[in-house]
Amino acid sequence: MTDTAIAHGPVVEKRRGEGLTAAALLTPATVFVAIALLAPLVILFRYSLNEFVPARKMMVEAVTIANYIKFFTDPYYTTILWTTVRIAVLVTAVCLVLGFPLAYVVARTQSRFKNLLIISIVLPLFVGNSVRAAGWMVVFGNKGFVNASLMGLGLIGTPFEIMFTEKAVIIGIIAVNLPFMVLSLQSVIESIDRAVEEAAFSLGAPPLTMFRRVLWPLALPGVLAGTILCFILAMNAYATPFLLGGPLFKMMAPVIYNEFTQKTNWPFGGAIAFILMAVTLTLTIVANLVLQRRAAR
Amino acid sequence: MSKTFMINRRTALGGAAALAAGTFTAGAARPAGAQDNKRIVIGTWGGDYSRLLTKNINTPLLAPAKWECVNAEENADPRKAKMMAERTLRRGTSDVQGFSANDMYDLNEQGLAEQLDYSKMPNAKNLIPAMKYPYGIGHIYSGKVVLYNPDMMEAPSGFADTLDPKHGNKLGIIDIQRQYNMVAAALASGGSVSNFEPGKDRLMACRKAGARIYPSNEAFAQALKTGEIACGIMWKARAVQWQNAGIKVQTVAPKEGVPMYVSGFVMPKNAPNKEGAYAWLDAMMAPSAQELFAVDMGYNPTVANAKVPDDVQKRIGFTPEEQKRLVDLDYAYMSKNDVAFQDWWNKSFKG
Repeated sequence: MTDTAIAHGPVVEKRRGEGLTAAALLTPATVFVAIALLAPLVILFRYSLNEFVPARKMMVEAVTIANYIKFFTDPYYTTILWTTVRIAVLVTAVCLVLGFPLAYVVARTQSRFKNLLIISIVLPLFVGNSVRAAGWMVVFGNKGFVNASLMGLGLIGTPFEIMFTEKAVIIGIIAVNLPFMVLSLQSVIESIDRAVEEAAFSLGAPPLTMFRRVLWPLALPGVLAGTILCFILAMNAYATPFLLGGPLFKMMAPVIYNEFTQKTNWPFGGAIAFILMAVTLTLTIVANLVLQRRAAR
Repeated sequence: MSKTFMINRRTALGGAAALAAGTFTAGAARPAGAQDNKRIVIGTWGGDYSRLLTKNINTPLLAPAKWECVNAEENADPRKAKMMAERTLRRGTSDVQGFSANDMYDLNEQGLAEQLDYSKMPNAKNLIPAMKYPYGIGHIYSGKVVLYNPDMMEAPSGFADTLDPKHGNKLGIIDIQRQYNMVAAALASGGSVSNFEPGKDRLMACRKAGARIYPSNEAFAQALKTGEIACGIMWKARAVQWQNAGIKVQTVAPKEGVPMYVSGFVMPKNAPNKEGAYAWLDAMMAPSAQELFAVDMGYNPTVANAKVPDDVQKRIGFTPEEQKRLVDLDYAYMSKNDVAFQDWWNKSFKG
């Protein structure tokens, strides 16, 4: 017994040491997340249960779900939520359709310019969203690049209304999100052995069947990662809808900002923020489950 | 080898922790105010306003007295939100904050603005009485006038003639000027600065006729420049700036009245450097600073001893007849109904 204990002593001590090291390594990040993310969320949630006195623009301590009820019973806000979800789904789908072929080419290319290709995909991420939106403003304006070119070529007589429309917002968000989709897909496609595609072809599968039966299921982890990233980014887009959508187009993030800063209605702003977070999380989880179940079949 | 690595890693972690603790305790031992008592933090809009504060006040008037001025640039709404968030702090992060008169009123109502001791500011004796608030000081003022492109239309006579569905999509409305658009529509429709309700139908009719809504003053200016719109409502000072920038625009002081726009500064109750804040506010009222702001930005001085060149005065000021039509806003009414008006503007007018 004693011998066994002595024999196991160093092993137990080593494990304890590893545990302590792991704890020490985990602690800074955990403390940071707790302070920087969870604490504000808890405070915000508490605020969302408070009341607001519009005449004095004051928050009053209370415990009520009135702000949440107000959101779901006012068509103005539910329409904005629906618009946000619709745009996020559309943008994600377009990014997937545009991103998959591009990611495939980048993953499979043997070119010596492969690194350049990857850098050119990542390059837009070096510029902030608002700066990119400002660039789009120059392109989309009534006398911007698109309209000036088309009018200069005599193709149109009056300028297209692109700026401050939903179209501009969709194009802007796709441009922001596409690199995330391509990078997520490219890394997964690269890990799929080219031999499995060739095996499918050698067994007589046409390209579409090979894609549907081999490539798509194997690339599904990348598809999931890409769509999750894209969807969450689109749901929470702020700068692009604010700058390109103009005063008449509304998505959730600018509305939350407006409630906090212009109306100083922190309780309602907090409630909308939590609703946006909950809807985004729920839709992401549901979509994941559906996709995974389909893949398992 | 492995043991050495473990020790090194621990040492590194321990060192990092010690460094962080050292930084924290050093920071705690030296509060910002103790080391920065010559620093004045000025909350202001960005762009021209901030640049001109530095050019006309900070550099020529405060730097020689060894004050270090820092402009904290942001739009008014985020700065208001920040002041509210800092409400419970003993020491805030700014010493003076620039706002419109109705925002200053709002902040005072919420108990965030210091009640000013005018005896600490020698230049205050020249301040126009209407610009002297217990909780803030008017820095510059202008009036809300009609702007139009003389190549595209005849000069309108006032707000009713401008906020008229007959202009269709040639009428531009600035989203962030919501309150002033509502005042103008009210004055055009038999309402007053204390009753915006009569103007709502007029605004809705304009919107239905195709009036364009722009997110910012700059977007409105761009639309005027390209001929996308022919008329709208804006401060006279901005029209002067845009004329200087080559935009073809003329102004009309509306017959229904000229709503005043006052931009001023408050001192947050928890300003960390109140002595510096008083020094800055006093410098803001210096005639030299006020004269330069009139020339550079097209706004009227708020002190009686500022001497604006005649040609500038002619462009930025108002004739004695027009001055009689200047109307100050009912800040209490606007503050009390602001949230309701925002809801109407967002849901009904823009919705």
